[in-house]
Amino acid sequence: MTPGPAPDAGAERWTPYWFIAPLALYLLLFQGVPLVQEAGLSFTATSLLSPREHVFVGLDNYRNLLDGSDFHAVLATTAVYTVACVVLSILLGLGVALLLDAPFRGRGVARALVTVPWAAPPVAVALIFVWIFNAQYGVFNFVLRSVGFAAGRENWLDTPELALPAVLLTTIWQIFPFAAVVILAALQGVSAELKEAATIDGADRLSIFGAVVWPTIRPSVALLSLFLTIWSIRRFDLIWLMTQGGPIGATETLVIKLYRDGFVYRDLGQAAAVGMVGVVVALAVTAVYFHFTRRAERAAGA
Amino acid sequence: MSAAAAMAGRRGWTHGLRLLTVLLVLLGAGFPLYWMFVTSLTPSAALFAVPPHVWPSWSELGVYTEAFRTIPVGRWLRNSAVIAAGTTVLSIALAIFPAYALSRFQFRGAGLVGLGLFATQMLPEAMLVVPLYAIFGQFGLLNTLAGLILANTAFTVPVITWMLKGAIDGVPIDVEEAAKIDGCTRIGIVLSIVLPLVAPSLAAAAVISFFHGWNEYVLATTLISDEALRPASVGLASFVGELSTPVHSVMAVGLIYTVPAVVFYLFVQRYVVAGMTAGSVKG
Amino acid sequence: MAAIDLQGVTRQFGAKKAVNDISLSVPDGEFLVLLGPSGCGKSTLLRMLAGLESLSGGQILLDGRRIDQLPPSDRDMAFVFQSYALYPHMTVRRNITFPLIMRQHRWWFHVPGISHLAKRRIERSPAVRDLVDRTAAILALTPMMDQLPKTLSGGQRQRVALGRAMVRKPQVFLMDEPLSNLDAKLRTAMRAEIIKLHGAVGGTFVYVTHDQIEAMTMGSRIALMRDGVVQQFGTPREIYTNPVNTYVARFIGTPPMNLLRATADQGALRFGPLVLPFIRATAQAELLAGIRPSAIALTPAGEPGTVAGEVAMVEHIGAESLITVRMRDVRTGHEEDGGGGTEVMATEAGYSELRPGTPVGLRLDLSDAVLFSAGTGERLAA
Repeated sequence: MTPGPAPDAGAERWTPYWFIAPLALYLLLFQGVPLVQEAGLSFTATSLLSPREHVFVGLDNYRNLLDGSDFHAVLATTAVYTVACVVLSILLGLGVALLLDAPFRGRGVARALVTVPWAAPPVAVALIFVWIFNAQYGVFNFVLRSVGFAAGRENWLDTPELALPAVLLTTIWQIFPFAAVVILAALQGVSAELKEAATIDGADRLSIFGAVVWPTIRPSVALLSLFLTIWSIRRFDLIWLMTQGGPIGATETLVIKLYRDGFVYRDLGQAAAVGMVGVVVALAVTAVYFHFTRRAERAAGA
Repeated sequence: MSAAAAMAGRRGWTHGLRLLTVLLVLLGAGFPLYWMFVTSLTPSAALFAVPPHVWPSWSELGVYTEAFRTIPVGRWLRNSAVIAAGTTVLSIALAIFPAYALSRFQFRGAGLVGLGLFATQMLPEAMLVVPLYAIFGQFGLLNTLAGLILANTAFTVPVITWMLKGAIDGVPIDVEEAAKIDGCTRIGIVLSIVLPLVAPSLAAAAVISFFHGWNEYVLATTLISDEALRPASVGLASFVGELSTPVHSVMAVGLIYTVPAVVFYLFVQRYVVAGMTAGSVKG
Repeated sequence: MAAIDLQGVTRQFGAKKAVNDISLSVPDGEFLVLLGPSGCGKSTLLRMLAGLESLSGGQILLDGRRIDQLPPSDRDMAFVFQSYALYPHMTVRRNITFPLIMRQHRWWFHVPGISHLAKRRIERSPAVRDLVDRTAAILALTPMMDQLPKTLSGGQRQRVALGRAMVRKPQVFLMDEPLSNLDAKLRTAMRAEIIKLHGAVGGTFVYVTHDQIEAMTMGSRIALMRDGVVQQFGTPREIYTNPVNTYVARFIGTPPMNLLRATADQGALRFGPLVLPFIRATAQAELLAGIRPSAIALTPAGEPGTVAGEVAMVEHIGAESLITVRMRDVRTGHEEDGGGGTEVMATEAGYSELRPGTPVGLRLDLSDAVLFSAGTGERLAA
């Protein structure tokens, strides 16, 4: 990696700024301005039908959130969804990565094929999984019934207790390949000599993992967790298409509530307030992540 | 595992177990798409049969052409392609020079820009669509493919910029310095020297932004209500869960929509990972 | 008794034999050096001893017990890697303690929660702590016990690697070019350290290197390898004075032995026009005479009883000068020159005043010369 030289004084001092300007302006226009507007909207009552007319209501929208008990449920659902997605897909991804790390015939093909779920468009994924989870005709229930589980009679996406697990299953199916590929790449950085040294020292496979492999891949897994967490907080398509946040809010995450408030209940102001809460949550998560990575680096004597 | 044990394992049962597990994982990863395929080829009478058909009935291939008649698939795919292509062109055009600047120059604010790009990843489309709807309404950009392209690009370009920056990092600087001595302008260097050298990553970036646009749903469904402009993602979404349209036709359309995304991604995935893991080294 | 016995040990990769049917008997307490150029199989052989590579054929015995089927941790051997292979996320203390912890490790230690506590308990137990502290003291590591490897210098890291090996009190120490990553000065110091260690700790050392000076100064026995086959196995002195073939002759010694083409002729050797009496001359017609650079004296040109030649290059290394001479009527049998070169090296004490291009005469001292067959390169029985 070759870092660039400091720009020559004078002639090229402004070049980098010129280069970045168009993109910066674009993002300010299409993300910055909407974000500011969103913040502004959150203090108003604005209807979807007449988006240009605002009535200033101060903190009313936020107060609605704190008072309504369903907002706590939304936060809880978001938390459960996010944690389950991240933890389970990383565990699954780790397992698959370890499987694909040792040499065997057809390994290249396997590594490529395992990324297929990640490549599929979310709309298509929702389409097929809703069909799979269909109560009477879905193959999921058919298999469950054949094996004798009574759960094979349930309407998964329509039952409050079962909807979230079904959506989780779908989500994890989609994202575990990404975790697997990232962890697999990280595994390539583990020194073979170090593993041999541990073998000679008498370590069994699990000890080798704990003493050599895990410490090496931990930074990559940490960054992966951050991305997966942010993406889970953001995820809309799959959940909306499968359950629209139902039944009875069982799968209503922050983002789903936002969209529902804005485009179903037509309360743009309320939706904006939910959105701002979401941004704060995402920022908090990122701050926590950086805090812990800095601490880990200091402990390791960086 | 010691090399000696690995040798033994190659002929032993641990190796067989590993192969079996890999097969199971691949089965799990591939099953839903396979099911989409089978369902598309299941005769309508058997669609609601229990037990469900497991194997495709090849005689039903006609459902694919049939689908084009009853469902405006052609128009949907064309719209999707236009949106995706537009997003690609605009994203790459916007990303090239900032990626170069972040890679080659050390300037005040570079960290801020990097942080800003990272921050944009945190904002959900579903949130920004609310004010975007309002703004677009004001400027008459609602219900236009151009408007959707503009919105999509804002969400795609940060990832692309980061990818290209990583690719440019890997290009040795000597060639550029030689060109500078020969009197080439900086812009000329970027376009005629650096870009060709990162062609593979550029191609990967193009594929990724194309399918960002192709897969996109929220912005499309909110910002476009005109049926004639509807892309495949929104069109297909209208069939999710409803059973009045023949399921096999719907699945056929779904498969046509999915296959290009999956196939192209297979070619491109290692560039994405390279970009991700490069960033993990003290992003 | 920790004698190592290699019997017909072979390692094959497809058609290529990296280690080809090696049989060696190493007595207990020996400092065996596996010497040779890159790719000769010495590292592979070492790894086979350790259990990091499996055997394609033959067996390995330790104290009469067959060990080539055992996993590495059961062979009572320690391994020092060229890159030290220290656990980067563990302190020096934990690095050295690690083998001892693993020795007492039970399968249920993997249950989360127990692992950390159990390891701490083992680390703190008086027996373990005592052994680790003593080992660290021997290697002068006590002030840095709580540091991480990345904060240590190359020499210090090497000592930690040694400590990790020593603490197991193994019967055999295996070392894979441990000094290659150090700079020249440090290398000389560590050489002495390792020899001292061998004296203090006892046990059999098997040491891999490509550096013949290391081999000659450290080893009590050297096995010189080439292309998977042991060329010669003997003490440094044997190998130096009686190389068994031309390869060994040219590998050992700085500068290496010269090989001059000569023909034998009734108790004399003919070097071109020059005939020198040589009692041990055999009937073999075409042969190579191995003559050390120190056995070649340079005289003014034209002196009787000398080979004619011209100075090609002079290198001054301080205490002596190395002079490369191009001979007129005599050829050499050096593999690097394709077998038909004309350049030999002579040494002169002090700072030689000779300049390139000066015609000289070479007076050959044949008292310690070794004769080799020109065809096979094998030494001819004296």
